[in-house]
Amino acid sequence: MADDKDVLRDVWFGRIPTCFTLHQDEITEREAEPFYLLLPRVSYLTLVTDKVKKHFLKVMKPEDVEEMWFEYEGTPLKWHYPIGVLFDLHASNTALPWSVTVHFKNFPERDLLHCPSNSVIEAHFMSSIKEADALKHKGQVINDMQKKDHKQLWMGLQNDKFDQFWAMNRKLMEYPMEEGGFRYIPFRIYQTTSDRPFIQKLFRSVSSEGQPHTLGDLLKEMFPAAICQDDEPKRYQVLIHGIEPMLETPIQWLSEHLSHPDNFLHVSIIPSPSD
Amino acid sequence: PSMSLSITPAQTAAWRRQIFEQLNERSKREMENFKHYEQAVEQSVWVKKGTM
Repeated sequence: MADDKDVLRDVWFGRIPTCFTLHQDEITEREAEPFYLLLPRVSYLTLVTDKVKKHFLKVMKPEDVEEMWFEYEGTPLKWHYPIGVLFDLHASNTALPWSVTVHFKNFPERDLLHCPSNSVIEAHFMSSIKEADALKHKGQVINDMQKKDHKQLWMGLQNDKFDQFWAMNRKLMEYPMEEGGFRYIPFRIYQTTSDRPFIQKLFRSVSSEGQPHTLGDLLKEMFPAAICQDDEPKRYQVLIHGIEPMLETPIQWLSEHLSHPDNFLHVSIIPSPSD
Repeated sequence: PSMSLSITPAQTAAWRRQIFEQLNERSKREMENFKHYEQAVEQSVWVKKGTM
């Protein structure tokens, strides 16, 4: 039987095979070949696509190049969501590789944040970790860390160093035994068909009666339609890292093992594929 | 000493087992046919997991 620690590795080393193609409206000097890449599920698009940029710049004139952005079937892809979340939300149940379109002009100002450098990603990532720790430990763990410890978390993610990241991140996953879990579970629930970016509310790891809360308890409170009754067909898939955990799964365990490096449990709710 | 039964409720075992199984299926689905693709981030020492 596998160990719970193996789950952390599976989560970290998850990859989405992706085919990048240049949008037809982009002006090139010669034909742009598609570019194939394995993207880490837990990272961010703009952090891991230097090779994509380099590949397409070879066939473009510098004056035709503005900020690079990505689109999937008409939907601009938000770089500040983890890659795995973008895939689960927009493209799960489609054939692989994931087909992503690359743009260098007409930046969709209303849909996407600008990402002029990696330090913007770092700031976003660190603020998520701080927010998560505020929920879990009133911010005490992250505030007790030194600047170099924060850097270690970021460098671990940026350079895909599992051990470096987890040597520090495990501290963010501790909690007092007598409390049975984190104060609140840092989670975000995403839907495809909503103007709301995501659902995020306070939710405790343990009920007032001392019972561990489950994924089912979370959904019952935040998105009851996702819980299917015995006699009706399944309407939604609830995806975390591309898998559908059982509703009985304790939410504390999910938070410790299936959170993204930003320390949030990102849950995608998508309509069930109709056969 | 008395024999210690590891008291794992069947339900607990089920959700945990199901996560392991699904992660394995996910690796097959998303990675097995694409091992020839380039990694986006090169520095990583690729730790390959044996089949369980």
